[in-house]
Amino acid sequence: MMRNLTIGQYYSTESLLHSLDPRVKIRFVIAFILLSLPDRSVPLFALLTVVFLAALLLSRVPLLHMLKGMRGLMIFLCVCSAINLFTTYGETVADLGVLTVTREGLIKTGFVLWRLLLLLLFSSLLMYTTKPTALCDGFEKCFHLPSQVAMGITIALRFLPVLVSELDRIMKAQEARGAEFHKGSPAKRLKSLKNVIIPLFQNSVRRAGNLADAMEARCYTGRKGRTRLVPLKYGVNDLVAYLVLLTVIAAGIFFIIHF
Amino acid sequence: MSRRIDFFRWLIYYSFMIKIKDMEFEYYDRDEEGNLTEMISAIRGIRFEAEKGAFIALCGRNGSGKSTFAKVLNRLLVPAEGTVMIAGIDALNAENALEIRKRVGMVFQNPEDQLVGSVVREDCAFGAENLGVPEKELAGRVDDALEAVGLSEKAEAPVESLSGGEKQKLAIAGVLAMGTECMVLDEATSMCDPASAREILQLLDKLHREKKLTIIFITHNMTEALCADMIYVFDKGRIAKSGRKQAIFANTEKIDALGLEVPMAVSVARKLKEDGYLRTDELYSVGEICARLLKEHPYAFVKGVKLEAGKPKKLPVNPKSAILFDSVSFSYGKNKVLDSLSFSVAKGEYVVITGRTGAGKSTLLQLIPRLLSPQSGQIYVDGIDVNDRTTDIRSLRTKVGFMFQYPEQQLFAENVYEDVVFGVRNLGISEVEAEKRAYECIELVGLSQDVYDLPPDKLSGGERRRVALAGVLALQPEYLVMDEPFAGLDPEGRRSMEELILALNKEAGITVLLVSHDLDDALAHADRVICIENGCVVTEGDPAEVFCAQYRDGGVKAGVPFTTELMCTLRDRGMELSPPARTPEAAVCEIERCLRK
Repeated sequence: MMRNLTIGQYYSTESLLHSLDPRVKIRFVIAFILLSLPDRSVPLFALLTVVFLAALLLSRVPLLHMLKGMRGLMIFLCVCSAINLFTTYGETVADLGVLTVTREGLIKTGFVLWRLLLLLLFSSLLMYTTKPTALCDGFEKCFHLPSQVAMGITIALRFLPVLVSELDRIMKAQEARGAEFHKGSPAKRLKSLKNVIIPLFQNSVRRAGNLADAMEARCYTGRKGRTRLVPLKYGVNDLVAYLVLLTVIAAGIFFIIHF
Repeated sequence: MSRRIDFFRWLIYYSFMIKIKDMEFEYYDRDEEGNLTEMISAIRGIRFEAEKGAFIALCGRNGSGKSTFAKVLNRLLVPAEGTVMIAGIDALNAENALEIRKRVGMVFQNPEDQLVGSVVREDCAFGAENLGVPEKELAGRVDDALEAVGLSEKAEAPVESLSGGEKQKLAIAGVLAMGTECMVLDEATSMCDPASAREILQLLDKLHREKKLTIIFITHNMTEALCADMIYVFDKGRIAKSGRKQAIFANTEKIDALGLEVPMAVSVARKLKEDGYLRTDELYSVGEICARLLKEHPYAFVKGVKLEAGKPKKLPVNPKSAILFDSVSFSYGKNKVLDSLSFSVAKGEYVVITGRTGAGKSTLLQLIPRLLSPQSGQIYVDGIDVNDRTTDIRSLRTKVGFMFQYPEQQLFAENVYEDVVFGVRNLGISEVEAEKRAYECIELVGLSQDVYDLPPDKLSGGERRRVALAGVLALQPEYLVMDEPFAGLDPEGRRSMEELILALNKEAGITVLLVSHDLDDALAHADRVICIENGCVVTEGDPAEVFCAQYRDGGVKAGVPFTTELMCTLRDRGMELSPPARTPEAAVCEIERCLRK
């Protein structure tokens, strides 16, 4: 299940969205999240959907690729919708014995799903179109993070795929010796999970140690004075993007107030 | 006053890149309360000097203190005692750490965990960025460094897409971009395929000659060590032997006792001299041996005759074979790894699969116990279709013992016994029987009874690998499928692993299929070699013939074992050597037979 986790991995291609400054993209995502907070307003959500679709087209990342990467989050989405579907009071549409589905519940679930999907897809678009290093530079500048924190995030992103493939290898090595991860009682599954987590954890610690050595050997101190191969600089595109962002925010606020 | 002393110190040390006196280093092991439980002296009194522009190899068995020593050179570790001067700077003074690391760059063993950036160019810049190199200068430095290691074309590629060898080259480029004067490499080639290792070594040689870089590299491969001007052999935290290659390899027994081995070229030359066919044994490569033979025995070479070796014939696929691949294709997404690949392994055979990193070897192995399933084609084990829905996976995986690369990193239990017994318990046999099997297997792989209750991380790397193997053998498999079982071991560990696997094959009758970069071993022991490139079988058959064909196609660059290189080169020069030899000893016999004529 975790073996094919691709959410948040940089998708290498050339597009307008890829070339934008990470700070612009991060601010877009923040505005997007804030705008989607107010409750169910169809025009507002339609506006956000249009913004997302436009960004998707500009990014040249295939939607299918993004949806595949979200497979791991499907359970989360299902649980969220189930809770909304069955716990909302109102006019009964279907009676399933213990559980009842109401009209209000259906509408609410629809909105929740719409909102969650938009949020997840839009923010993962940021990850797909921004190189991890640029992303962290952006975070550092946008939130005034200490550079060590930004470096930590860069490394976490860099090593996520490495850890996933390592997890895969450990699980397979045990499967080859007769372990079965998808069978047995929850207690047994938990125990077999322990056998996977321990070597994964040990290897991560070992890797972290090696990496720390390698970084120190390359004169990383965490102090100021680091220069950048590609320093963040705003271009014309970025200014235009900011204008678009302002327009979207203005329109969003207009919708929130008037509908 | 102190200024003057500093000046004299500087004058004395200036001509040396590194000067070390009476260095000692200890590791401390503490329990949860912080009490000292164990003290390990990693280095006990070392004197070491490296002139500017030297090319030095450090050898020794695992745990002899080489890596600790290398880390001291970069001030990643600080010795307890002694003086360490690097480029005239005192390494014991904490304030000098950056100054030292600016001058001494380091490349580590594992290509996976020393790169920080996600894109080649970014990673290359990392060190230089840390030094605060102005932005205008950075781009130039990075481009020059990538150019020097031959990665210019991949500057914008994601780091994950590089092969192991390329990642190591990138690490070297990262050091170059920092503008260092000295480069320390800690077993940087040990995780690469032979062709990449050769490329990296040539790169180091080039950097040494053209950029006057001081190079210090740690290696387990004695043929690599021959490239160096000076060799230091470490043993139990001391330098047991140092000198030029002539002096180091003069005494075979002494080298064996230090856990190393004499390079094959040296032992061949020595045997030829002992038997009276050569007047000197100071020959260190195939080229030198050939030139010398040509000089001393010109009559043995027929001018203008280039003997053609027959192409190894492709064996017809035998449907009754024990393991059978029938036009199997596999791809990860759009990336095609195996392309309608067919081969077979007969019962009781010892088959080695070779090929460059990324050729699809590891994927191929994982298909056999169905850890992966192919998109098309059939795989049979004992006539049973592996990917048939009705096939019992459990009995398949009991029959096929499978071991990943670096299996020692996948041990998980609290002690050795628990780890070995894990697979047997999954079989559902009685605890008594399981216990019996586990104990037998731990003994079978040559570990003593003392290790049963030890946590795996108290053992050495080689021992841990044996534990992993015991865990596989406890299932009593009929087949052993292994991914690079020799990778990363020191000469001693490698030799005993080779012997163990050979014994399992010849005495216990287990069919062995392994992926290996240890070509000399493959040539000497395998019944058959299958060479894979881009997901297809290029050549397969008798090891000597396969490697000969490999040599014809790509020369030495393709990666061929020493014996093949020697025999083929001599044949190319016109020496009428008949059947291809599989060990250096056999090669010497054959050469002497030719010379007697």
